[in-house]
This record gives sequence, C-alpha cells and structure tokens, in this order.
Amino acid sequence: MTVAVYLPLLLPVLVALAARLTADRARPRAAVPGLVAAAIFSAAATIWSLLLLFLTLFDDLPAMIDLDSRTGMHLPEPVPDWVAVSALVLLVVALIRLERDVHLRRTTAHRLRNAGPAAGGVVVADWSEPLAVAVPGRPGEILLTTGMLRVLDANERRAVLAHERAHLAHGHHRAVLLAGAAAAVNPLLRPARDAIAYLVERWADEEAATGVGDRDLVARAVARAALATAGHPAPAPALGMHGGVIVRRVRALHSPPPASARWQLALLAGVTAVCLLLEATATADFVDVLRAWLAG
Amino acid sequence: MADDEAGRRRARGELESEVMAALWAAGEPLTPAGVQTALGDGLAYNTVQTILTRLLEKDLVRRGPADSGRGHAYWPAQDAASLAATRMRAALDERPDRRAVLQQFAAGLGEDDAETLRALLAEREP
Repeated sequence: MTVAVYLPLLLPVLVALAARLTADRARPRAAVPGLVAAAIFSAAATIWSLLLLFLTLFDDLPAMIDLDSRTGMHLPEPVPDWVAVSALVLLVVALIRLERDVHLRRTTAHRLRNAGPAAGGVVVADWSEPLAVAVPGRPGEILLTTGMLRVLDANERRAVLAHERAHLAHGHHRAVLLAGAAAAVNPLLRPARDAIAYLVERWADEEAATGVGDRDLVARAVARAALATAGHPAPAPALGMHGGVIVRRVRALHSPPPASARWQLALLAGVTAVCLLLEATATADFVDVLRAWLAG
Repeated sequence: MADDEAGRRRARGELESEVMAALWAAGEPLTPAGVQTALGDGLAYNTVQTILTRLLEKDLVRRGPADSGRGHAYWPAQDAASLAATRMRAALDERPDRRAVLQQFAAGLGEDDAETLRALLAEREP
C-alpha cells in the first residue's frame, strides 16, 4: 500500500482551505453545493481509506496464516498490523459519530415539527427567548417566539420570515445535515461544516434582501435579533467560526452582493478530483495485494 | 382594488403569518385598521379583514368588541402559542446539544460583537 491510502484522510484540510477562501467571496448559492459535494467526497474517501487499511488484516485470518506457513511463501503485509487495527478503531468511531450526528439533527427537526397550528407555515410560540428557526419537513415550518417578534418592527419581521422561507425553499437543512455528517466522519472537516452553516445563512440573507428589496433592512433585522439574543443564556454556537459570524453577515449585507468566484469553485472541483484519484490508486494497490494473497 | 398591490404580490400564507406576527408583536388587541397600520405596507382594509377572518376560523386568533365600541378587535390565541412554547422548550431541554444543530436566525453573539453590531446599526440609522 502506498501513501495514496493515507492522503485522503488529510484532504479535508484542502476543503477547509477552499471553504475559507469561498466564504465571503463567492455567491453563497454557488458555493454551498460545491462545498457540500467536496465535504461529502472527502468524508467518503476517509471511510474508504480506513476500510482498505482495515481489510489488510485479511492475511491474519487463521486460514491465511495457515496457508502462509504451509506454502512457506511470505504473503505480503502491506501495512503494519497496528495501523490496520487503528484504522478499524477510527472507522468504528467515525461511523458511531456519523449515526449520532444524523440522529440528533433528525430528532431535533422531528420534535420541533407540529409544535402547534400554523398560519401560513409559521408557528408562533409564546416564549420570551428570541428564537427564529426553520424546521424542515413536508411542508416545512417556521417557528418564531414572541420574544423574537417583539424586538422587531413590521419590516424586520418580514425580513426574518423571508430569510426562514429561503432556508425551507432551498432545503438548507439538507446541506447542513450532509456537512455535519461529513464532519462527524472526519473532524478535519469541521471548518468546512461551519463554513457551510455560515453560507446557508448568507444565502438566506441574500434571498431575503432580494425579496424585501432592501439589504440594509435585512442587515438591521439580523443585528437586532442577534442583540436581543445576547441577553439570553447563549446556546453553544453551532459555528466554530464563533460569534463573529453575525457581524460578518451584517457587513456582507452592507456591501454589494458578492459576484461569482470561479477559481475558488474550481479549487473545490480540484479537491474532489484529487480525492477520487487517490482513492482509485489506493484501491488498485489493495487489489494488487489481494491478488498476491489469493495467488499464494 | 388598486391599493391592494402589496396583497396581490405576496402569497396568502405570507400575509397570514405577517398578520399573526403583528398581532403578537402588538401585545394588545388590534382592530383591522390597527393591523393595517402595524403592517405599514399599504394593504387594503378588506384584505386585512379577510385574513383576520381566516385566522379566526383556524382558531389562531380571538375576537372581541373593540375599545372604541365600534367593530371588532383581534388578539392572538394564547393556548396554541403556549402549547407551541411548551413543546419547543421540551424539545430543546431534553437534549441541550439540540440548540447547536438548530439553524437559528441569529445566535451566538460575543461581547465584542455586540459592541460592533451596535456601532454598525448606529452608522446606518435612517
């Protein structure tokens, strides 16, 4: 086995880099699909690499050891056993984390769905904590607390509703779910996950700005809602990009809408291609090893 | 109706949710004219009236005589919203890590950020 099997485990560093470069430069609706695809590809590559490494333990099966000693020929040992065993451990941990993350996101949406009767897809909860949440489903719902409604004026409320409707219309929960799953598999993808979470907010901000026809209005709604939440016990922010996210969103809305950024997206495509290439090489290596074993 | 352009542009559901939001934000019963003012975007009186009637049928608002003695005033139904709040809190308290996976409109503000935001708001004050 060559280095090709290990490299995909580190590729997420490139995805994270691409995420950082795209975050405030590309149009969110162009950057999100690219980033999600790159994250998913590199997470899948991580799993495949770990699986290949683990499968090299094949030669330690009793039958193979038997064969080895009987024929007196030395079967190839492509990677040290401890590496293969570590790969197995990492693989199991990755799959457990993956299951947990997806389960958490699914049950959260499930528990929040049908919280009450909806008016035009909006459920109002009488709760002083300012919250506005898009709950995916068929149809999706927007949950708004009275705490949120009372800190905003009519136009700002319209901006928030437009923002949340954009989340639902474009299935942003799916992008976030996939990004979370990818980061659960390979923790190096966490910056990419956070960038995707940030970019779907930006996407919804941009769409709301187009909808209400006023960028400043959306910026004001974001800022005032965030300031209102500041007085409440802060939930651990989902974004590893920490609190600066809100400021970045407001600043982005105060600037002209971003243009497309072709080369950053090309970088993502490049990462995905490298991923595929390395995995193909690693797989070919593994097949060679397998042939050697079976021939012996 | 000529002055109902805003109404025609936006879908029925959107208007329902906006009226609902306005009633909650007001914190007191509103007449249809009051709702019209609160929404502040040139919706026709009849449109507002129609939406209020629909919300009444859905049991999302309550209606009583207006303070002025003429017509009706509307306020949001408390029970539905309290129930929604109870369910929401239960879901979030059951597993504290749920908050982290919620796509919240605006959350996670640091101390310095609050200052920066206030400055940004002041800068653009109309």
